[in-house]
Amino acid sequence: MNAMTAKLVVEGLCHHYPDEYTGESVHALEDINLELYEGELVSVVGPSGCGKSTLLNILAGLLPYKVGKASVDGKVIEGPGPDRGVVFQEHAILPWRTVSRNIGHGLEIRGLPKEEISRRVQEYVDLVGLSGFEDKYPHELSGGMKQRCAVARTLCADPIVMLMDEPFAAVDAQTRITLQEELNRIALATKKTILFITHSVDEAAFLADRCLVFSARPGRLKQIVTVDIPREKRIWENMNADAEFIRCRDEILRLVREEVSVAIEE
Amino acid sequence: MTTAVTALSTSIQRRIGRQKLRKFILGAIPFVFLLVIWQMNTAFEWLPPVFIPPMGDVFGAIITLQEDCIGLIGAITMHNSCSMTNNIFSSMGRVILAAVIGLPLGIAFGIIAGMNRTASKFLEPIGVFANSISGIAWIPLAIVWFGVGWLTTLFIMLNTIFWLMFFNSMLGVRGIAKVYEQSVLTMGGSRMDVIRHVYLPGAMPSIITGMRMSMGFGWRALIAAEMVGGDSGLGFMIFTASEEFKIEEVFLGVIIISIIFMATDRYFLAPLEKWTIERWGLVWKPT
Ligand SMILES: Nc1ncnc2c1ncn2[C@@H]1O[C@H](COP(=O)(O)OP(=O)(O)O)[C@@H](O)[C@H]1O
Ligand SMILES: [Mg+2]
Repeated sequence: MNAMTAKLVVEGLCHHYPDEYTGESVHALEDINLELYEGELVSVVGPSGCGKSTLLNILAGLLPYKVGKASVDGKVIEGPGPDRGVVFQEHAILPWRTVSRNIGHGLEIRGLPKEEISRRVQEYVDLVGLSGFEDKYPHELSGGMKQRCAVARTLCADPIVMLMDEPFAAVDAQTRITLQEELNRIALATKKTILFITHSVDEAAFLADRCLVFSARPGRLKQIVTVDIPREKRIWENMNADAEFIRCRDEILRLVREEVSVAIEE
Repeated sequence: MTTAVTALSTSIQRRIGRQKLRKFILGAIPFVFLLVIWQMNTAFEWLPPVFIPPMGDVFGAIITLQEDCIGLIGAITMHNSCSMTNNIFSSMGRVILAAVIGLPLGIAFGIIAGMNRTASKFLEPIGVFANSISGIAWIPLAIVWFGVGWLTTLFIMLNTIFWLMFFNSMLGVRGIAKVYEQSVLTMGGSRMDVIRHVYLPGAMPSIITGMRMSMGFGWRALIAAEMVGGDSGLGFMIFTASEEFKIEEVFLGVIIISIIFMATDRYFLAPLEKWTIERWGLVWKPT
């Protein structure tokens, strides 16, 4: 890797959900260790229910954890903060704010002057291709546009690490492919450090420098697959015939399949 | 002649919009029907004028009630002789006062109870208790406490408005998707940011429903309170008129009450709804 500083460090992280009714607890994560370097995009794949969202919520500071350690830029995670930006799976942009007010929301919270906010908002509106829709409300946008707006909102707040939880799972296949290519371009242009969670093997292989495959619940880091293709070269047209891409995708697929069958046998 | 009518009709349609015109005409039909029946009753004397006065008498009552009132100035300064307008202003004044105090308080407490478990455990039982004794059932007690007068009517209204607003706002906040709050928190937002940017606008559909209910039930409670425990206002006017068998004044009072209420809904609540939840796509709209 070209970068040397780890922006996000997770050591020995475990998580149990208490069950209010039975008193038993759900073991969601077991001994997770990972490092995210500056400018890197790391994807996490695993069977449904393996604890991916749990990991993301802990890193976002939305879920308190007891065992293990997680830190961003050397600062231990103790709650939500603007150093970590989250793109949620559902459409989490606020319906009562226009596109530009949603995108500038993080800066508004930080108390930046109005002119500065609108200047930076315009920059990200253009970057994600929402020009002309600045004054629209979310219900007037398509699913893909809503997620573009959500990505722009997180980028505009300029977090140290971006956490994305299956952000493209709810859009149609055609839009998803476009969004993946756009995210790749934008991530490179803004040099963002990103943890990208998905259940799609193709998506994980396409976007990532490294792909972390999780085991079935309790989620453990099963294997790391490094995708050795320059990210600048990644467009779907090329990938479908790229030997390295096919190798990585098949490898990830095989690893995930093993886990899915484990989950079914249980 | 026909061309002139057609021209007029198209120009009206162009100005107001076809859809709106249609809505207006459809909504007006039941009223026209009522007025026709009323007029026919007078003509054929199905029911004697002691029960249903002629329309003319009802309008005549305006003049009787405002007899020595010196024009607009008299009405505005609430001169003694302007009894109809005085009663209107008196009722409206109380409604506005109760709304200005009761709505924000109900919203504030509702939001607090909606976002905080302890607060809701604390406030909900007392709210259920207060709601179980519906607005007007408090009148006898209020008269004992505050005597006959504006304090009693204000208390009755506040009691009605506050709890309805409280419950609606609370349920509104609880119904907001968690992810909105989380997204504000992950952008570094404070509790206050969450309240201002998520709870308040997110609960708006419920808050507006709450306002509609509060104002509806509040008005009704006020009229009832004025009848029994008031010394002025439209309810008081209706009550004294009926005791003196002035049926046309009773009719006038009822009509004024309905008109004021419809105007409140149309010129205050409906625009508020349009400017907020309709614009945000939070209301179901027939397509
Ligand atoms: N709030 C919760 N309480 C109890 N169990 C939960 C809760 N959230 C998730 N779980 C359980 O933890 C496991 C991991 O969930 P999650 O992290 O959402 O999985 P993924 O995102 O990988 O599909 C699942 O078995 C799920 O049922
Ligand atoms: Mg998930």
